[in-house]
Amino acid sequence: MIVECRIDDLLSLIGKKLTLKQLEDRLFMIKAEVEKIEGNIIEIEVNPDRQDMLSTEGIARAVRSYLQLETGLWDYQAKKSGKQIIVKPGLSKIRPYICCSIIKGIPSDDEVIKEYMHLQDALTSTHGRNRRKASIGLYVYDELEFPVIYGPQTPSKIKFVPLGYGYEMDGPEILEDHEKGREFGAIIEHYKKWPLLYDSKGQVLSLPPIINSNDLGRMTTETRNLFVEVTGTHLPTVHQALNIITASLAERGGKIESVTVVYPDGATDETPNFKPEKMNLKIEDITSLTGLELTSKQIVQALERMGFGAKILKSNKVQVLIPAVRMDILHQVDVIEDIAIGYGFDNIEPAMPQTMTTGKINPVTRIKNKVRDLMIGVGYSEVMNYIMTSPELLNDKMLRNRPIITTGNPKSRNYSVLRNSLLPILLDFASQNQHADYPQKIFEVGDVAIPDETMETRVSQVPSVCGLETDVRVNITNLMSEIGFLLRNLGLEDRFSFESLKAPEFIDGRSANIKIDGKVWGSFGEISPEILTNFGIGYPIVAFEIFIPRNLEWIE
Amino acid sequence: MSEQLTEGERTVLSELKNLGQRVSTSQLANNLRQREERVTSILNSLASRNLVEIHSREIVSYSLTSEGENYADNGLPEVRLFEGVKNLGGKASFDDAVTHSGLDQKTKEIAMNWARKNGWVQISKEEGVTVLSTLIDEAESDVADILLQLNSGKDTVSKNQSDYLKQAIERKLVSETITKKFEAEIIDSEIRKVEQLLSAGVGGIGNLTPEIIYSGSWKEDSFRPYNVDIIPAYANYGKKHPYAEFNDWLREIMIGLGFTEWFGPYVETEFWGHDALFVPQDHVSREVQDQFRVEHPYDHGEIIDKKYYKGVKAVHENGGNTGSKGWDWPYSEEVATRLCLRPHTTPVSMRYLYEHRESPQKMFIIDRNFRSETLSATHAQEFNQCEGIIMDKGLTLRDLLGYLTSICKAVGIEKLKFKPGQFPFTEPSVETFGKHEKLGWIELGGSGIFRPEVTIPLGIRDPVLAWGIGSGRLYMAAMGINDIRDLYSRDLNWIRRSHFISR
Repeated sequence: MIVECRIDDLLSLIGKKLTLKQLEDRLFMIKAEVEKIEGNIIEIEVNPDRQDMLSTEGIARAVRSYLQLETGLWDYQAKKSGKQIIVKPGLSKIRPYICCSIIKGIPSDDEVIKEYMHLQDALTSTHGRNRRKASIGLYVYDELEFPVIYGPQTPSKIKFVPLGYGYEMDGPEILEDHEKGREFGAIIEHYKKWPLLYDSKGQVLSLPPIINSNDLGRMTTETRNLFVEVTGTHLPTVHQALNIITASLAERGGKIESVTVVYPDGATDETPNFKPEKMNLKIEDITSLTGLELTSKQIVQALERMGFGAKILKSNKVQVLIPAVRMDILHQVDVIEDIAIGYGFDNIEPAMPQTMTTGKINPVTRIKNKVRDLMIGVGYSEVMNYIMTSPELLNDKMLRNRPIITTGNPKSRNYSVLRNSLLPILLDFASQNQHADYPQKIFEVGDVAIPDETMETRVSQVPSVCGLETDVRVNITNLMSEIGFLLRNLGLEDRFSFESLKAPEFIDGRSANIKIDGKVWGSFGEISPEILTNFGIGYPIVAFEIFIPRNLEWIE
Repeated sequence: MSEQLTEGERTVLSELKNLGQRVSTSQLANNLRQREERVTSILNSLASRNLVEIHSREIVSYSLTSEGENYADNGLPEVRLFEGVKNLGGKASFDDAVTHSGLDQKTKEIAMNWARKNGWVQISKEEGVTVLSTLIDEAESDVADILLQLNSGKDTVSKNQSDYLKQAIERKLVSETITKKFEAEIIDSEIRKVEQLLSAGVGGIGNLTPEIIYSGSWKEDSFRPYNVDIIPAYANYGKKHPYAEFNDWLREIMIGLGFTEWFGPYVETEFWGHDALFVPQDHVSREVQDQFRVEHPYDHGEIIDKKYYKGVKAVHENGGNTGSKGWDWPYSEEVATRLCLRPHTTPVSMRYLYEHRESPQKMFIIDRNFRSETLSATHAQEFNQCEGIIMDKGLTLRDLLGYLTSICKAVGIEKLKFKPGQFPFTEPSVETFGKHEKLGWIELGGSGIFRPEVTIPLGIRDPVLAWGIGSGRLYMAAMGINDIRDLYSRDLNWIRRSHFISR
């Protein structure tokens, strides 16, 4: 994910003068990559696991720690505001969770407001899974009357002026006419009632997860105090998203206050909750994953550079406090990786490989290579084509009706299905090369995909060889000798036979099936003029195709 | 140099002697029904033996420019203007004459200048209006004549018109082309020698036959020499595709490093494609804009090993027995069995581990992957990946960096930088950057140590290092290809003339 920052703003938040090169090098060492620098704007690519770095403030925090300008646990204090959010019954199947915070005294010029909006977007699209799991709203705190109520409402009774509009709309109108309604409406439209957030004066804050109200949800440069809410379907995700956005606002000097969410069953949740999670690590586990022999001091230092709290316990363990904005820590290995990053990837000495194994080529590759060598021996030149192609090419132009593996979401019909035979692919190739010198002898050895209900993935992926020759005159007897040469050198003397075939792609009386041990594995023939015309080819062609079973059943 | 003639020299020399005069190479080639380059090459060889003299001559030819063609078809502007004035009674205002003769704004000034210079019209001012009157009865223009001649297929004009030709060239109606022509003749003083060579050399052995070898008659005879110091013409024989050769080369390197090649299918269930790799079921990479879904004739596959499936499901839902929190989200069998085109080769690594759970193991694959992209110079719906895994007791991040160093060295990249990275299935994760001799610092690929959530459901407790290299990029650099569509070039001429060479 790309985060766009103003360089002066970023450096002032970091709190140290750095050259752009120094900044780039530091970012590189903490998983972030500089994509572009233009004037005062720097574009930084952040890995999707580091949602806490999706803002200028978050990046600055990470760099500041890494530079050891400020080390140890990223901690945030929230004062209890005493304000309440009342959750009404009836949302448990729709969008049950809400977490909120209040931030007072934030600076808000136009640039900063724009950045808050970016962070909100980035968090809800990735972490919030396009608002399905979590969505965020920011409001002008001073205009609200607490407690704020979160409850279900009949869509037609929902009436407010949505953000960016000058007139009132009802729920169904918003889903139909508002761009955000069209984009995200699918999340709620199949419910009878939709979630609505409103205050004690009855002013609507928003229709989560679609759109905020234009009256309460529009920040201006005058706005100093903010109310933040996150609603969603997964409580940990909702908490984490609130923590990240609240912490970012606090990084600019805002003071955080918490609110009490009261659920219909009487349960309460004081949010935001920045209490760090504890994890104990064995030092030997750190050594065995990283290969680094680190002293306790180095481990603590590395963790503190990455924003963790750390303390060495007796019994060769380290106690780690995980900052509440890190949502990517699922397992001890996630912390151990951060120890390696905190220690510095550039300080890690590669170890010389010790694992002794003998390498082997796949037997199918070996046979494919043999077939390629034999084809080259009889003068064919190898070509390589895409696996994906169009149904018109495979069936319509070939007058065939073979089953095809079809994708549901291709960007182009020309690459929408998997090839089920190489012959149409090579005919298409020949049609594109009628300007090149003749004779042309081309071949491909590659896999084709054929529907097969008995397979785990419903597909048999079969290696195939196809050879094609075109010239002013072609000679089927010659082609037959070449196929004979190929099959005999695959050890099939006395086991292969040809049996005359009637097939629309070939001229009658000039084509045959290729049988091995009595079973058909391929065919050859002179391509019928109708097919040539379908491909726009002006010269005669003889060709063959043979499937090679993946289990190599007929190879000795 | 042999004192005999080759077959080719004989033919050319004999024709030259028959003609008995200086003759152009093109005529000679025409007479002999041979390509001119071949005749020239033979003449050069004869010239180096001092039998033939080659003269080069510059031949000047003329052709019409597009403006010249236009005037040849529609008449010169000055002639048209003169005719206009004449048709209006021999005297007319400039504007009327222009309108009458159908001249446009651009050409009317040209027309008046030349008509006056040629002495065809007189120009005067009457009440502020420019008036033209004819001075002669008929306008005869040599320039027009030249244009007509050249338009009828001639490429030269007669000497007495050379001044007007110059004028036509200056007016950019005619362009001049100079070509070099070669002419050859037998050197007079060598004519006897030529005759001798032509008469003596008819003998000599052409094709060496079994009879000649058996009888021993070659001992008394000489061999007719052939022209063997020419550059042979292009010819097309069978050969491998350069990209296939590149992949063969990579395969050879991997086997040399002790890796075993494995196979896995293009069409996968999302179970193998993502779930087994601990990619959450609602991850963006599974969305339709990124990944091809298979829809027809089947859109779902099946789960073969129910026990393994249960282990993977538990890991997703709550971490199972791996010490992980998992994704804390319901796991769906419908999603797990959904069919997709594999977006990476990593499922192949999982299929290999599924069958090989004891250390040590090293496996690799070089094969096609699919992403739902629109084909362009920088993106393709298919790309090759070269990737592998190493499983052994006691492997660490340091070993991973060591393996990456030796693999990159083997493909010719010595200088490396490592950056912490992120992949859902590895932790730690590493991105490798290499200094390429042509491209500078490039991203070579991703790697890492498989997460416990990935290996423990298979009962694997030993570390598994996984790495991948974007091999297509290295090939493009090696071949000087800039457009990703040329990886699978459909141009037979390009394939015939291209080659991949590795040291």
